[in-house]
Amino acid sequence: MWDAFGFEFINFYFIPGLVLGCIYALGAIGITLTFGILRFANFAHGEVMMSGAYLTWTVMAIITSVLGIAVHPLVAAVPAGLIVIWLFLLTDKYFYKPFRKADTIKVVMASFGMMLIIRSAVQVIWGPNQLTFVQGIAKPNTVLQSFSQSIDMLLLIPNKHLFIFTGTIVIVIALSYLLNRTRIGKAMRAVSDSPDLAHVTGIDVDQVIRATWIVGGACAMAAGVFLAMDIQMLETTMGFRMLLPMFAAAILGGIGKPYGAVFGGLVIGLAEELSAYPWIGDAPLISPGYKTGVAFAIMVIMLIVRPQGLFKGRSF
Amino acid sequence: MKKTLLSTAAAMLCSTAAMADVNIGNPLALTGPIPDLVAPMAQAVDLAAKNINDQGGMFADGQALNIIRADSGCDPVAAVDAVTKLINVNSVSAILGPVCSGAAIAQAESVSIPAGVTTLSVSASSPAISTMEDGTDLVFRAAASDAYQGVALAELAIEQGITELAVSYANDDYNAAIAGVFAEAFTAAGGTVTANEAHEPSKASYRSEVATLGATSDNLALFAYYGSGGITLMRNALETGAFSTFIGADGMLSDEVIEQLGAENMTNVTFTTAASDDSTPAFGAWQALAEGAGIPAGDPFVPNSYDATFMLALAIEKAGSDDRASVSAALRDISSAPGEVIYPGEWEKAKAILADGGDINYEGAAGNQDFDENGDVAGLFSKSSVVDGAWAAELIR
Repeated sequence: MWDAFGFEFINFYFIPGLVLGCIYALGAIGITLTFGILRFANFAHGEVMMSGAYLTWTVMAIITSVLGIAVHPLVAAVPAGLIVIWLFLLTDKYFYKPFRKADTIKVVMASFGMMLIIRSAVQVIWGPNQLTFVQGIAKPNTVLQSFSQSIDMLLLIPNKHLFIFTGTIVIVIALSYLLNRTRIGKAMRAVSDSPDLAHVTGIDVDQVIRATWIVGGACAMAAGVFLAMDIQMLETTMGFRMLLPMFAAAILGGIGKPYGAVFGGLVIGLAEELSAYPWIGDAPLISPGYKTGVAFAIMVIMLIVRPQGLFKGRSF
Repeated sequence: MKKTLLSTAAAMLCSTAAMADVNIGNPLALTGPIPDLVAPMAQAVDLAAKNINDQGGMFADGQALNIIRADSGCDPVAAVDAVTKLINVNSVSAILGPVCSGAAIAQAESVSIPAGVTTLSVSASSPAISTMEDGTDLVFRAAASDAYQGVALAELAIEQGITELAVSYANDDYNAAIAGVFAEAFTAAGGTVTANEAHEPSKASYRSEVATLGATSDNLALFAYYGSGGITLMRNALETGAFSTFIGADGMLSDEVIEQLGAENMTNVTFTTAASDDSTPAFGAWQALAEGAGIPAGDPFVPNSYDATFMLALAIEKAGSDDRASVSAALRDISSAPGEVIYPGEWEKAKAILADGGDINYEGAAGNQDFDENGDVAGLFSKSSVVDGAWAAELIR
């Protein structure tokens, strides 16, 4: 099977890179929106992803025990997502709102505290052990496999990855509709570009902030569930581990630019995986142990060469 | 008036410190990548302390033995924090733990050795621990070094007819060390290592790692903690069919692996672990105690945890005070011949002999627990594979 055309490159480097890129992209959307509109780097964003995945698992477990049927994570993610968004609107009201007029650094520190609070709360409720999200091994989609084999390729894509690709595309289209065609989306973009100007033109900033939490939270929630679907288990630091590459993606795309975040996420995800491909000779170009470093190298170079990012975001 | 109050308060503080019980600090990896493995180890430590306190406690006046637990999270930074607190705030007499090699090395180098406190690890097995001390004799462990386990695993692989394999190890003190020992032993025994790569723990995907290695062989020697990437790496390998046979060591031996991957996918998986010979009288004594308390007697490092607790208490009893400086020498005394043989749980007997000035030799559930010059003990290993949906262990002889 190793001789099929492009087999190794596509199945082991390109597709995993795309999957990771989709997850980074969805996470980075929320980071870039909070950075652009609320003007602080939200460290608790990874924990939103994580708690969303845990709640989804709980909804799945409850449905299975009450009705005796196994539901797909994407179905369970809808009610879980509503709970997560509601929780984060509450945290905004009681936790972040008092900091609204404070220095940025105070809010950043507060979000760091929120990150620790959420993670500890999850550890108290669900325990420190790993939880099985979906049991077993995800075999490649057989239809796709036999079709690609007939044209002398061999695509090994499990269904969970097809769901992740489709889900990401749907969410990005919905987001672009929201930002370009709806009143609140335009208001969000206006606040992101210039909060003072937006304020004098009569935009309700509080409403924009609520919308930001809802949109960012929904994307983070989707990223968390996709991540859990991919690794098929839950553990309490899964969101935090994604946080720094997601920041790299947001910076690469340009702070405050949702399309930039999507593009940045895909680039970072692909760069991490493709850096380990044996481009020259038989050995990996960069040892897979240093994959994470690739994301940071991109971030550092970007900050030095073009701090406003590829899509002309805000620079600090 | 104020001064009087202050000095009274100070005097009260001093007097409570003086009549304190014997305190042992117990950093364990309660959170982190292997909480499932650690939970019964913590129970074994508590059981040993309970047995000791039920049978007369410490010293002639029957002081209580307190286990002060902290979370070392299988993480060097967390371990240093936890042990610093135990030594400086709780003023413990000795350190029992930590679980993971990286954590044990870090806390010993930066906290316990400089403070002159003896460490007796319950399960840290990296070969690096044997040679880490320079002139002091403060680091001991109640589990065998992976210098032996790596060799045992290599012999097992050859025995199973594996002649070539790829090695993947997590980039930490424990896994890198055992992978090194294993690769060397496997090559020496006539096997071929087709690729040998480190992987970063806790990544969301290991597909590129699996691809790089999978092109070279169908057999994988995997050294990782199950909770920080081990399961994900195995899943990626199985999903893509890159590997069919897996071998590895104790970091992967958890029910969690079967639960997440499904027993039907694990037909060619063998992991080794430190084990006890369950035919010895010492193990029999331990088994009776453990079963009475509902603790899995044969689980990895659980008997070692009981032994370590019991030995530290014996050492402090032998030294006659909870002074930190005397623990190390006393620990060597009570664990090796000559002396009356003491089995797990025989605290009253040991206490009486020590009170009369006699000599004792503790024989542990996990092995004879005689420390060599590096503070290491010899040990046995078992191999586990999946039978009927659960791990079935078999002693390697």
